[in-house]
Amino acid sequence: MAALLRGLRAGRLLRGLSSVVAAPTSTTPQCRSLRRGFHCAALRLQDESKSDKHSASSSYSSSSSSSTTHDDYTSQQDSDPSSGDQEQDEDYETEEQLQARILTAALEFVPLHGWSMEAISAGAEAVGLSSASTGMFTNGAGDLVLHFISQCNSKLTEILAEQHNEVQLGQAEPKKTADFLRDAVETRLRMYIPYMESWPQAMSILLLPHNIPDSLKHLSTMVDDIWYYAGDRSTDMNWYTKRAVLTGLYNATELVMLQDSSPDFHDTWTFLDNRIQDVTNMAVTAKQMQSTGQAVAQGLLGAAVTLKNLTGLNQRR
Amino acid sequence: MHRAAHTAFCDWPQFVRPAMIRQSLKCTGCLQNSARAYSVVPAPRDSAEKEMMHRMLRVDHAGEYGANRIYAGQMAVLGRSRTGPLIQQMWDQEKKHLSKFNEILAENRVRPTALLPLWNLAGFVLGASTALLGKEGAMACTVAVEESISEHYNSQIRALMESDPERYTELLQVIKEFRDDEMDHHDTGLEHDAESLPGYWLLKNAIQLGCKAAIYVSQRV
Repeated sequence: MAALLRGLRAGRLLRGLSSVVAAPTSTTPQCRSLRRGFHCAALRLQDESKSDKHSASSSYSSSSSSSTTHDDYTSQQDSDPSSGDQEQDEDYETEEQLQARILTAALEFVPLHGWSMEAISAGAEAVGLSSASTGMFTNGAGDLVLHFISQCNSKLTEILAEQHNEVQLGQAEPKKTADFLRDAVETRLRMYIPYMESWPQAMSILLLPHNIPDSLKHLSTMVDDIWYYAGDRSTDMNWYTKRAVLTGLYNATELVMLQDSSPDFHDTWTFLDNRIQDVTNMAVTAKQMQSTGQAVAQGLLGAAVTLKNLTGLNQRR
Repeated sequence: MHRAAHTAFCDWPQFVRPAMIRQSLKCTGCLQNSARAYSVVPAPRDSAEKEMMHRMLRVDHAGEYGANRIYAGQMAVLGRSRTGPLIQQMWDQEKKHLSKFNEILAENRVRPTALLPLWNLAGFVLGASTALLGKEGAMACTVAVEESISEHYNSQIRALMESDPERYTELLQVIKEFRDDEMDHHDTGLEHDAESLPGYWLLKNAIQLGCKAAIYVSQRV
């Protein structure tokens, strides 16, 4: 095992050196298949390969930097080292990136096969790997659903960041909080529309006990992102109440969306509007109650002082 | 204030089109990573560091919040006595510390501890009850709490210095400044007859035990 790892490391070093010395832009097909072969072997060794990759990539970068001092070509690479490295990086991907690629391809087969291992193996074949590589996915359909969710969250964060940027640059008006929340939840839920028929299956997969921690984590980061871009900078209990409210809103709207058959989910967005209106009313009422309570307390204090004055208890003798 | 400066920073290369695009991209990157040049906390390199930083900032924020409430409790009882102005002065410094930590937490999207309502109540009750023992009681409470907080800040400074002093220079500066303020409060408490309270040793140790428990819990919840 240790010898195999050492061999892998040596193989990568040699690969790095050979690709630096050879033509800078193209790599030979043999080189690429050799790399693939090493890569597939590497995929077998789970944790050890990860730590090995870190040390190998660091030794690789040190070898490439040492060789840049020697070669002539590398004057090209010296002035443009990032493109050379990037090209190497495009072929040299981590296991997570490979899994992500397969799962993204598998999403296209979900309308056909549902959220299942069949979709993942169809995706693997679409990417050009054998369907046996689904062995990588120990969580099966859960991996696919969680990948989709995290992809949707990243897209949402990008959209929100872009909107925020436009507001910062003065190109757009800042939205009111209620409108912002409504738009953000609507944008996020619309990403489910292509998969709406199989979405109940996906939700039930997310509710499996071993998937609950991950799905809760994705939900909480999404809600945190939405509030951050809505402008929430609170550092007290409001942090928790706001996020709890938005989580409830989002979950309720998602459930309504599952059973909605109106054109373009019109009923769902109406439901969302009404719930946000409720929340706004509740917030206004809470504030009013607080100020009323303060006024009442002051009134009582005033009455107590008056009473003390009347009974003579306030005098200092 | 930061956002206005940020907008100004993003706006000035308006006459250079490619630079403007690059600038707005930088703004997006900046906002997503909170990696602005004048941020106190450096952008975390990986999730382990992020976890550690968030824990540290969370417990510091909880500490300053609690100290704020303790002084509020003391003022509620002793506010109109001779020691009122002294306690008010120390309270004002704690308010400044709290607002600085609020700023840092908001900037770095750190979750505040869920036990804040508990520290709210406990701090106020501690401050008020020790103040009911008189001026010496209030000063003894101050001495105990400030000693715990200084010890806590010192261990954080040690941890940051051990890992990477250059990376955390600004944060170290902030924590050192706050630690020095807390030591000042501690010394002020001693100057104003904290030790002359009967049962000083018992009260001090009880309060310090409570502070240690609070710090332990706030780091995790």
